[in-house]
Amino acid sequence: MEIITPLWGIGELQLVLPLLRQLSQQGGNSVWFAPPCSPYAPALLASGIDPAHLYVVSAPAAQLLWGIEKALQDTACALVLAWPGRVSHRQIRRLQLAASAGNTLGILFHHGALRQSTAALRLRVEATRQGLRVEVLKARGSYRQSTVALARSAP
Amino acid sequence: MTGRLFQLPLLGRPQRTLRVARPHAPPRTPGKTPRAGRLPPLWYAIALPQLLGIPDAQIREEKLALLAQRLGQLSGTVSVEAPDSLVFEARSSLRYFGGIHSLRTHCRQLLQPLLSEWGLPVDFHQAASPTPAASLLLARAGCNLLVHRRENLRSALGRLSVQSLTLPQQRRQQLHNSGLRLLRDVWRLPAHALGQRFGTQFLRQLDQCLGHVATPVKAYESPPRFNSSLEFDYAVEGCERLLPAIEELLERLCAFLRARDLSTLHLQLSLQHEAQAPTLIALDMRHPGQSRAPLQLLLETRLSTLTLPAPVCGMQLEAWRFKAASAGTQPLAGLSAAEGAAAQSGPARIAPLLGLLQARLGDAAVHSLQCQADHCPELAASPTPGHEQSHPHPALALQARRPCWLLPAPVQLQQHAGQLLYRGPLQLLSGPERIETRWWSGQEVCRDYYVATNPRGMRLWIFHEREGERRWFVHGIFD
Repeated sequence: MEIITPLWGIGELQLVLPLLRQLSQQGGNSVWFAPPCSPYAPALLASGIDPAHLYVVSAPAAQLLWGIEKALQDTACALVLAWPGRVSHRQIRRLQLAASAGNTLGILFHHGALRQSTAALRLRVEATRQGLRVEVLKARGSYRQSTVALARSAP
Repeated sequence: MTGRLFQLPLLGRPQRTLRVARPHAPPRTPGKTPRAGRLPPLWYAIALPQLLGIPDAQIREEKLALLAQRLGQLSGTVSVEAPDSLVFEARSSLRYFGGIHSLRTHCRQLLQPLLSEWGLPVDFHQAASPTPAASLLLARAGCNLLVHRRENLRSALGRLSVQSLTLPQQRRQQLHNSGLRLLRDVWRLPAHALGQRFGTQFLRQLDQCLGHVATPVKAYESPPRFNSSLEFDYAVEGCERLLPAIEELLERLCAFLRARDLSTLHLQLSLQHEAQAPTLIALDMRHPGQSRAPLQLLLETRLSTLTLPAPVCGMQLEAWRFKAASAGTQPLAGLSAAEGAAAQSGPARIAPLLGLLQARLGDAAVHSLQCQADHCPELAASPTPGHEQSHPHPALALQARRPCWLLPAPVQLQQHAGQLLYRGPLQLLSGPERIETRWWSGQEVCRDYYVATNPRGMRLWIFHEREGERRWFVHGIFD
């Protein structure tokens, strides 16, 4: 699945935190590829996520997609979060096949220059004054293109 | 009774001689010549009192082990006698080295470079006798003596102080109070009373010295080290053509590991070229490997990122840090392999994937996250390199919220007409939270933290210095 944001840090991580929390309770591993900054362990711990099951991989852009594909294929890894920069729709298709082979959920964060892609779910996130506006660009198996407004959690 | 034989360098007293306790030859029974095979063993002890100056016992043991490795060139049985001595069996190597003089010269040539490298005095005490206990006693007492026959041990040891035996303090005091100063005095007493008065441990030591009771000697074994190489008939270009050779080397390594029930944590493969320095590939693994397939996968992954500077004419595989092999957890009978794997705990399951990523992307590429109990925001989280085992630290229970992203270094904020700017004017949402810590380290942290938002929807964690230039910085992004 893809999450498209105009800018890093506007609250896109809010969407995956509940997932991470649930994963952490089950003892599943997640691997983060090339995040824009380093995740801050005390904050994750405060939101109920055990940082021990979380691994951060930094890699040059040329090797990054190889790494993401390997992680998606691996059954030991339950969730892959990746900030790959530019990706083509062929690369997304390949990553998707890898994810279905490994039964792994892969979430790509990018700024979104692609008009279309084969990802199962595409979300566009924008910040508003009250919180986040999440636009469902594509959801496999559904024609509905809806927009959800999320209020911010209190700081 | 004693004759001058050769000079020995002595610690502090370099001009002393080594005396040989050699009385007149004992009367031989006619028709019986002593055969070479029946000569008593000769234990050569080396005492290094300069090592006692090293406070750390572990370093001392490491140094002794290194010295023992060197002495392995002289004898098959070398024993490390903590804290400061070494004993080796010299009889079996006497003929090869051409007598005790030449053995002594060899011994000095082997040990002195190492000692001078460590900046320690190069002289040491040495003694040789038919029992290891007596040799040790003589060498530690600084009595450089060579005793060939067991019968002469009693007279050679007689002049040593009883305090040179290893005894508890109470027993030493008891001996002193009884007026027993030298071992000679002890031997004048009736033997059966000694055990009653001074305990069996005392008697046993004396018997061991005289050879009435055998002294157990634990031979030093050098730590295992794997080193195997292959030379090619012709130079090979291209990594993929090296793979069969790597497979063979790994097969040898695995046979080595299986024979010793070990597993390895690292490998070093060096590819030799005709006219250039060899290419070194060092591989650190996240989990110890014992079977060929995973090791080969890691090496192949690493090789695939490599461009060879020249054709390869040979290769060498080395490993020297090992761990005892652990059998790992096997799935219960009746479970399929996938179910068994799912039953394993999380970190153990993901280790192969992380090892693979590390092999291709480099050792520094994979981090895990850790919390530290520290008030300073930068120090409360430390990324730990991948191959280290993570030890969970208790984190501080925080009242205030912390950002999910922390910038690698705080970024100074621009100000325009009193308004803070970071991709637009900032608006403070909450704060301040005052953090004052690390005043003891010289890098004092004295900041007021605020949560701020900018028009583009980012929520930022910013701080204001309370001292110095009172600048504003952005330190983290919330989510």
